[in-house]
Amino acid sequence: MAIRIEKSFRVQQPAERVWAFLSDPRRIVTCVPGAKITEQVDEHNYKGSISVKVGPSVTDYKGEVQILRSDPQAYEIEILGKGSDVRGRGSASVKMQGKLKALDAGHTEVTSISELNIVGILAQMGARVITEVSNIMFGQFTTNLATRLAEPAGPTESAAEAETKPLDAGSLAWQAAKGVFRRES
Amino acid sequence: MTIEKTTPEVGGMGHSLKRKEDSRFIQGKGNYVDDVHLPGMVYGQMVRSPYAHARLKSIDSEKARQLPGVLAVITGEDLAKANLAWMPTLFFDKQMVLATGKVLFQSQEVAFVVAEDQYTAADAAELVEVEYEELPVLVDPHKATAADAPILRDDRDEKSNHIFHWEVGDKGATETAFQSAPVKASVHAISQRCHPAPLETCGCVADFNKATEKLTVYLTSQAPHAHRTLFALVGGIPEQNIRVVSPDIGGGFGNKVPIYPGYVCAVVASLTLGRPVKWIETRSENLQSTGFARDYHMTAEIAADQNGKVKALRVKTLADHGAFNAAAQPTKFPAGLFSVCTGSYDFRSAFCEVDGVYTNKAPGGIAYRCSFRITEAAYLIERAMDVLANQLKMDPAELRRKNYIQPGQFPYKTALGWTYDSGNYEGALNKALEMVSYAQLRKEQEEKRKKGELMGIGISSFTEAVGAGPAHTFDIAGIKMFDSAEIRVHPTGKAICRMGTKSQGQGHETTYAQIVAQELGIPASDVVVEEGDTDTAPYGLGTYASRSTPTSGAATAMAARKIRDKAKKIAAHLLECSEADLEWQNGKFLVKGAPSKSKTIQEIAFAAYTNFPAGLEAGLEAVDYYDPPNLTFPFGTYICVVDIDKGTGEIRVRRFVAVDDCGNVINPMIVQGQIHGGLTEGFAIAFMQLIDYDESGNVQGGSFMDYLIPTAVETPHWETGSTCTPSPHHPFGAKGVGESPNVGSPAAFVNAVVDALSHLGVKHIDMPIAPWKVWTILKEKGVVN
Repeated sequence: MAIRIEKSFRVQQPAERVWAFLSDPRRIVTCVPGAKITEQVDEHNYKGSISVKVGPSVTDYKGEVQILRSDPQAYEIEILGKGSDVRGRGSASVKMQGKLKALDAGHTEVTSISELNIVGILAQMGARVITEVSNIMFGQFTTNLATRLAEPAGPTESAAEAETKPLDAGSLAWQAAKGVFRRES
Repeated sequence: MTIEKTTPEVGGMGHSLKRKEDSRFIQGKGNYVDDVHLPGMVYGQMVRSPYAHARLKSIDSEKARQLPGVLAVITGEDLAKANLAWMPTLFFDKQMVLATGKVLFQSQEVAFVVAEDQYTAADAAELVEVEYEELPVLVDPHKATAADAPILRDDRDEKSNHIFHWEVGDKGATETAFQSAPVKASVHAISQRCHPAPLETCGCVADFNKATEKLTVYLTSQAPHAHRTLFALVGGIPEQNIRVVSPDIGGGFGNKVPIYPGYVCAVVASLTLGRPVKWIETRSENLQSTGFARDYHMTAEIAADQNGKVKALRVKTLADHGAFNAAAQPTKFPAGLFSVCTGSYDFRSAFCEVDGVYTNKAPGGIAYRCSFRITEAAYLIERAMDVLANQLKMDPAELRRKNYIQPGQFPYKTALGWTYDSGNYEGALNKALEMVSYAQLRKEQEEKRKKGELMGIGISSFTEAVGAGPAHTFDIAGIKMFDSAEIRVHPTGKAICRMGTKSQGQGHETTYAQIVAQELGIPASDVVVEEGDTDTAPYGLGTYASRSTPTSGAATAMAARKIRDKAKKIAAHLLECSEADLEWQNGKFLVKGAPSKSKTIQEIAFAAYTNFPAGLEAGLEAVDYYDPPNLTFPFGTYICVVDIDKGTGEIRVRRFVAVDDCGNVINPMIVQGQIHGGLTEGFAIAFMQLIDYDESGNVQGGSFMDYLIPTAVETPHWETGSTCTPSPHHPFGAKGVGESPNVGSPAAFVNAVVDALSHLGVKHIDMPIAPWKVWTILKEKGVVN
């Protein structure tokens, strides 16, 4: 199931600070619910995992994160992440193109285009629900990002190793369903 | 053939007896497979593939095995050692029981976990670690034979996704007719992949007793005897040591005809562990892995003259069979009875071809509440007739009337080789037109169109072909499609009957008893009907394709007549007269001319055990194996009236009139109930149901979240009527009815919606017609913004 998600949002931080954070997979991962980086293979390649809880069972995607392209001058980055569930429940990949734009008053606009592909049990929930789930995940991501950037000491290396709580798609599905109906009613 | 009506106390044919089985069903006292609890019973759980096409790299079941309470984890490799990794399907193909090498559809069976309780089994299934390597996925059947299509079945010698090509009819004559015809109409219609979704999912309890070496399998089976034989042939277990029991079955609709991997795994597990093993699938497992229906991509072309008289029919179809050809069809018919697609019309020539292909989808192609692909055929021809009517600007009722096979033409041989037994199509049409007040509706439609309102009227005049079948033509996996009945009359004049068929909710316990009541005068309430236990019932092929009344129903009448013949001998002995002096009337033998001298069937039954004549065997029993001389051909006309909301695209079925002709009726109330059920399923197919797949082969429609079941809220009000044209070859003139409403109704619904939009240039809409499809069309046509 292929889903394309385009998002843009603003953060009240200067572009160089946002870029420093966003271009480092070890730091950005701290904003993704249930995700962690387990190993840095080289400058562009990392190993990591993400857990999504669906009802009573947890889907654990394990895989690789690769920085395909990084342009600090233009504030553009392209990241590919792909992984398989350790218990063989399916696989997922996401290709994200991110771009920053410096705004007035030291604010920054973040634009991203993500192409998400999910194969397996999770994909059976259908594109409408998965899109909505992705929207919610993205919402949590931006909230986390804003919080982390606003931390007075700035994002630290050690924080990147902190484990984030897995995303609970049980309640997520409910929120997603509400999202679907809200938009159609 | 008229049926003399018995008293209501006897309750023979034509009486609306309340269903005997309902007292236990409505009290929750039915006994389904999941109600079977045996001492020492353990539970199986399937591990399934998340991928539609992937190589199986490794299966690590160590963690699962270590979970306390887990007894076994069976994989394809384990089964391969016993030569059971694959099993034959019902149609000359084989199917993986548990995957070896690779998986071919999402939810395919990969491993089978057995544990002391269901929860441990489910937890352990999560611990089985399977490593896959994803392969390119083939979803679109139209791309199956493309040069760059991945070859799915590397186990086959033929390196192709093409399964079969089948054609029937006179191609040359059909071409000639098309060349000279002034009018040609065509439609491309998809009879979409749907699923019977019976209320009870599939499952079994396999119980192998190591001491007696006897295997008992409680099975959700529409065909218990055939399944016993297949277990013997495939598993190598001596057939006398296998007992298959189909207890109460919560709906089948063709879904419970095939043998599924879960059954085989449960049997293997029980043979290995020596304990009873229960396996019951979940709703999603049922929707995603067991026999789907339809998935026929069809084109029909009609050649006609300017007056609308049809000349020839040309049909080309692509059949998507999924990963394995597990269609349940009679051996000689790779596309089932699809060639009944000339329908109720007098086509002089016709040609029909079907190609079957593999895709990365669940296997199946079962006959969902129809006689082997007849729903597809009826839908296609009824859609095509409407397209022709629209093209000629003729009223669809008049076009049909002009082309019906006439009553005087029966028995009628169709251009594609079927011999219809009897029919009066115009009779059913006239009755339906009258019930619905057709002329008035057309007037109303005209006025509404002027006001910009959307209203449509859809007609379907279907012909079914049921009751397989004559043994010379029909067999399943080599077993001829006769069926059986055994009647034993007890000394006190009560009786027990057993049949080779198996009710899944059709009401056999009532209707078979009524046949006995009709034939022998024993009150239906005194007759017990038992089916489904292969240790006690006579051999038969089971219940599907509306075959119970045409085959076992006929066998019941024939067995009863054998009993009557013997009863006559006993009566002559008791009345001290010759058999020739006796006549049968209302459950008694009377001496002709002296009606006060008589013996009731009950008196005769007592004498059969207490006072039988010398030279005659004791007892009053008979068995009959009935091989019908032909199929039976029920028919009818359905008319649907819809109103469409322009703002939302919502379709409201305002009226639905169903006139059915199934010959002589055993129980009018049961017939009506069957018609209500079949129409509701037809409604769901037309408007709600689709098992879809995304481009990666992920099932979309694999749960009741997405695969919709109509409730009382959505279901329209049904108006039923009937005509009666008995089958000339059936012992009591019946034809079978359970499937007609599912066969005939989808076209009526779709024709009605298309009719509502026809003035906008709409010629066809594929099912399921959800409101968004209609709304999109209205938007495209500029009707709404």
